Amino acid sequence: MAGFVKLSVPVGPSSCARAATSEEAAFRIDHPLASARNTRVVALDEVAAGIVREAAALEWGQARFFTVRDPGPTLVEVEGGEVALTGVLEDTNTVVMVSVTGENADAVAVIGVECGARGIMTAGLVVTPGALAGEALLQLRPYARILLVPAEPDDLVELLKATRA
Amino acid sequence: MLRPEINDLLCRTGPGTPMGDLFRRYWQPVLLAEELPENDCPPVRVKVLSERLIAFRDTDGRYGLIDEFCAHRGVSMWFGRNEQGGLRCPYHGWKYDVTGQAVEVPSEPENSNFCANVKLKSYPMVKRGDVLFAYLGDPAAQPPEPEWEAYTVPEGHVFTSKRLQECNWLQALEGGIDSSHVTFLHGGNIDTDPLFKGSKGNLYNKRDLKPYFEVVDYEGGLLIGARRNAEEGHYYWRVTPWVLPNFTMVPPRGDHPVHGHFWVPIDDGNCWAWTFDYHPTRKLTEDEIAAMRAGFGVHSANDEAYRPLANKDNDYLMDREAQRRGETYSGIAGIALQDSSLQESMGPVVDRTKERLVATDAGIIKARQKLRKAAEALQQGVEPVGNRPQDQRVRSVAIVLPADRSFVDGIGDAMIAEPSKPHTTV
Ligand code: FES
Ligand SMILES: [Fe+2]
Repeated sequence: MAGFVKLSVPVGPSSCARAATSEEAAFRIDHPLASARNTRVVALDEVAAGIVREAAALEWGQARFFTVRDPGPTLVEVEGGEVALTGVLEDTNTVVMVSVTGENADAVAVIGVECGARGIMTAGLVVTPGALAGEALLQLRPYARILLVPAEPDDLVELLKATRA
Repeated sequence: MLRPEINDLLCRTGPGTPMGDLFRRYWQPVLLAEELPENDCPPVRVKVLSERLIAFRDTDGRYGLIDEFCAHRGVSMWFGRNEQGGLRCPYHGWKYDVTGQAVEVPSEPENSNFCANVKLKSYPMVKRGDVLFAYLGDPAAQPPEPEWEAYTVPEGHVFTSKRLQECNWLQALEGGIDSSHVTFLHGGNIDTDPLFKGSKGNLYNKRDLKPYFEVVDYEGGLLIGARRNAEEGHYYWRVTPWVLPNFTMVPPRGDHPVHGHFWVPIDDGNCWAWTFDYHPTRKLTEDEIAAMRAGFGVHSANDEAYRPLANKDNDYLMDREAQRRGETYSGIAGIALQDSSLQESMGPVVDRTKERLVATDAGIIKARQKLRKAAEALQQGVEPVGNRPQDQRVRSVAIVLPADRSFVDGIGDAMIAEPSKPHTTV
């Protein structure tokens, strides 16, 4: 019976997935999921800032919204105050960068390198409807682990909602 | 996370549901041709999109896909006698042709025209390659017959299998879009599997375990590009197309056949994972087909009812020793079962209000958004994409490109299927 030693064999209702009804299979312990991604959204140009401001106006758990300009690293909050990039990144684990025109490449690099060093997940939205290639893509590519190309304006809100920002 | 009403919208595909309406705008694979192997062979039950149907092949070789239940008193036509141009109910002998039209009602007087008014619901079904595709939607909106490359290549170039997956179709589809699980879950397979091994791309895969992703919105759906470092100044790209609503293709490796899937809802808690492998320029070899039948590549070894031999009744033949040795990452053998075991473990319809997505799930997020928008638009009378021949002439691609090329530009026509054009692969 060597097979029985090696293989897992379901022995009763509690260990056999098959024995579960759909209701049982759907059972999940009901405890609230913390929205702990601490997402920071950064607009990389003026047009992107418009998209980011619109998203910022909705209600979020912990997401915060900024714009940035060359040469970085100072970020500007949507309400207008200036903050240091390093301070913002301190308790962050996801940075979403939004670009339309591909401007401010130096600032992108500063953010990207800083996120890389701290192990912060980076995502990029290239909001260039209809265009698959361009400055914005090339500028973000080295620094965004995942890119949406071209992203639609409502992708930012979808992404933030889906990740419980 | 997804709101419960959106989860419902995307997962329910029965008649009259928005996603069900969307699916009913596409030809879907419903049977392997081998299930109706000859004229007047036994009829076969087909459950698709929560509808119960019977498929049969009549004396003249015509295919029929009709309502499972006899119009007289509701007996399942699975018990029927398939004879002389139609399927006859064994209870009182009513007989139907492939269009569902009653052609004989023996209890009625000889020259009665009673028959003319009895017709079972029926759907068109066509054979393409080794698969039968059916269209369950409004006849007025019927799209052209399917033109997926796998089903336009010469005979002998394609092999298709199907396997029962005991969970909602969307869970299965999302696995096909979610390229970020491949390095983990399937990491053990690419070097040993006879249908993957030996390709140069495998080296790039192993050297760079943290791929970057680009999700590109294109006409028929999405292109998901996974990018790894290649030689100096170059990236190795693996490009997976998803075509609405339920078609995905895996990027090729070397000269191996290229494969893909359809994820077809049976009902809301089950689906068929359809798997094809084809080669655009040559016949599949006997060895390749034997490997596919044995469950290598992305196929599975199944019983006669197309249920995988490793299934939830036997804990998918979990092998903890292989898991410990790292031979398989999850302890389950074979890519197909590695995927389906985990997807079935999420429950028949996973509660997406409880998930905790991360940024690298952006492909899944985007696909859900496109499905929702397509279903909602159809309710407003806007026809979907993915059912036109140009959407279906698509290929997956594996390619090395200079670091500053957009992968869509870089692959150019390589993702467009054309007869006897070699596929672009590394
Ligand atoms: S790690 Fe992805 S589902 Fe558990
Ligand atoms: Fe997989």
